[in-house]
Amino acid sequence: MPDRPDPDEPAPRTTLATAAASAAVGTGRVTPRWRDYARAVLVVAACTGLAALMHGRFERSNLVMVYLLGVMWAAVSCGRGPAVLASILSVATFDFFFVPPNLTFVVSDPQYLVTFVVMLVAAVLIGTLAARLQAQVRAARIDERRSRALVRLSGELVALQDLDGILDAALRHLEDVFESRAAVLLPDDAGRLAIAAGDPLLLGAGAHERGVAQWAFDAGQPAGLGTATLPDSRALYLPLRGSATELGVLAIVPRDVRRLTAPETFRLLQAFANHAALALERSKLAVDAERARLQGEAERMRSALLSSVSHDLRTPLAVITGVTSTLLEQDDDAPATERRELLRTAAEEAARLNRLVANLLSMTRLDSGTLEVKRSWHSLEDLVGAALRRVDPVAAGREVRIELPADLPLVPVDDVLIEQVLFNLVENALKHAASDDPITIRARARTSDVEVAVEDRGPGLPRGGGEPLFEKFHRGDASHRTGGVGLGLAICRGIVEAHGGTIHADDRVGGGARFAFTLPLGAGAPAIEAETNALQPGRAGDA
Amino acid sequence: MTADGAHDPLVLVIEDEPQMLRFLRPALQGNGYRVHEATTGEDGIRQASMRAPDVVLLDLGLPDIDGLDVTRRLREWSRVPIVVISARGREDDKVAALDAGADDYVTKPFGVRELLARLRVALRHAARAGGAAAPQLTLGPLELDLERRRVTVDGAAVHLTPNEYKLLAELAKHAGKVLTHSHLLREVWGPGYTRQSHYLRVYVTQLRHKLEVDPARPRLILTEPGVGYRLAEE
Repeated sequence: MPDRPDPDEPAPRTTLATAAASAAVGTGRVTPRWRDYARAVLVVAACTGLAALMHGRFERSNLVMVYLLGVMWAAVSCGRGPAVLASILSVATFDFFFVPPNLTFVVSDPQYLVTFVVMLVAAVLIGTLAARLQAQVRAARIDERRSRALVRLSGELVALQDLDGILDAALRHLEDVFESRAAVLLPDDAGRLAIAAGDPLLLGAGAHERGVAQWAFDAGQPAGLGTATLPDSRALYLPLRGSATELGVLAIVPRDVRRLTAPETFRLLQAFANHAALALERSKLAVDAERARLQGEAERMRSALLSSVSHDLRTPLAVITGVTSTLLEQDDDAPATERRELLRTAAEEAARLNRLVANLLSMTRLDSGTLEVKRSWHSLEDLVGAALRRVDPVAAGREVRIELPADLPLVPVDDVLIEQVLFNLVENALKHAASDDPITIRARARTSDVEVAVEDRGPGLPRGGGEPLFEKFHRGDASHRTGGVGLGLAICRGIVEAHGGTIHADDRVGGGARFAFTLPLGAGAPAIEAETNALQPGRAGDA
Repeated sequence: MTADGAHDPLVLVIEDEPQMLRFLRPALQGNGYRVHEATTGEDGIRQASMRAPDVVLLDLGLPDIDGLDVTRRLREWSRVPIVVISARGREDDKVAALDAGADDYVTKPFGVRELLARLRVALRHAARAGGAAAPQLTLGPLELDLERRRVTVDGAAVHLTPNEYKLLAELAKHAGKVLTHSHLLREVWGPGYTRQSHYLRVYVTQLRHKLEVDPARPRLILTEPGVGYRLAEE
């Protein structure tokens, strides 16, 4: 039983006293032995003093009791070795001082020899018993501490949901309580184990340890150090058993092999492993449930998308089909103006179809997380200009005002994406505002971001407020259909949020709606080297 | 193949979509081009060497080899102008094609007017490649005299810093053609600056404020998001 202290050693009281605080079992046998022996000597000296006071007034057998008391105390508080020393010293001093002839080790009356023997035997017996008692107390405290650790672990694990947190907590507790280094190995899809938490170099580079771990996983049996299977391994491998399958393997490399392999330690380790396995399984189930939920949601989204898309794609397609078939069947002498008008309609519908498809594509990228934000420094004026160049053919001569302060800082954004946001917002405003109301694009720099707003004088926000407008497939109220898929604003939100900004819609003071988004400035654009301010012929090198 | 004779420029269209070809062929022929077609990249490269086209119109999404590879392989031995056809949202592809030596791009879907403008600019620059750049350029109110380093707007001289001038001159030398960010940064500031995009933003803004009537609605220096800048065509 390696956990029990060697009875020859003094009991480590300091360790026990701080057991709750100290992490490791059996560490810090800090009380030096010689101090216990010195105390045993002092006890005997004290007993001798007391006996000297009693001498003459009490029977000599009562003086023996004083010494026995001293020996007992030494046994309880200093351990067996000092107790034996105390009993020998007691016999010697008793003989020397109190057995006639006094102040010699000579014994005149042989019956005192019996006293000596009884005294010695009693002292050794008491010492041994006391020391064993100590050891049991200590073992009980260790057990208690470990069950407390187990309770703490399970308490902590219950509160954790994420895999890494669970593995971390389990390893931390394990390493604390069992004075070991540990790692958790989890299987990949093919069932091959790899270290998922803990020191990745714990098992070394060789294939042997991994082989043992794999065996423990495949067989569902403990293996390695201290077990019947491959005990020459560096680590003990305990399978983490879920309700149906093995979830992984716990690898433990102890500092002291003897301690780890004790039966009750082993049982406790198993309990630890079971707790960890339970938590792992719970987290796995939670992940699976979340995945299933997302899948369901994605499924719903897809069907909503399909019905929405098929409807919205059909309208422009119907127009294009109608126009082209009309033109095909028309006589060549049909008026040129009529033909042009028809063709213009077809071209407009084709452009609308193109924007719809572009939005669908962007939404798909946002949803699948494959949208890549390629940031570099851009001027908003530049991006607004680019967006308006695309808006103009759609705007049909409608007025878009631009109010950008001259000192607007550069913003760290993906230009293609932010241009798309600006385009969508302006297009949205054009759709909802009356044709003679101007639309205004405004921006202002604040301490840590830039706010860009697109304002119109349309009917303002619907009764439900601005937030639902940013939902996918939201299309305003039925009386005000504008023929979009309801993705434009959702895309804006996705893009703005991917940049770390926010977007919201408000009713505009004086009527109309105001869509505003923010773009964080980060650290601000780096400075630009100044150049000499003069154009010097011959310096500016062109061919 | 053509009604107008052998002096019309020959376009080699490397495109695998039959519908696109059905649109491109009459659109180009109706506007004074002779058209030759290839439906794979390998065939396109072969045809380019056999037919010596005046300009190549290359779809980046080909069935056999990447359009980017076609560009690189054509550039190993030929200076024929290449205009690539790409899709919106594939700006990286466009930049890669331009870096590999393509001259310009059109984004699907495109109108015939835009396509013709790109081809015209590409042909013009190819014709000029041997000689010096046009020393003078007039773009609306802007007049640029590269020889005398004079810039005027509505007849009034405009004062530019050396780098502003270098940037404008670089754009003007390739008027009508898109120039990538890294190209402009390298040409104006030097090879060490190709990732310092903020220089370009600041200087383009400065230039626009000196040259454009409404800098927020530029008519001269046009932004191609994700790709670069283009000086408007005459």
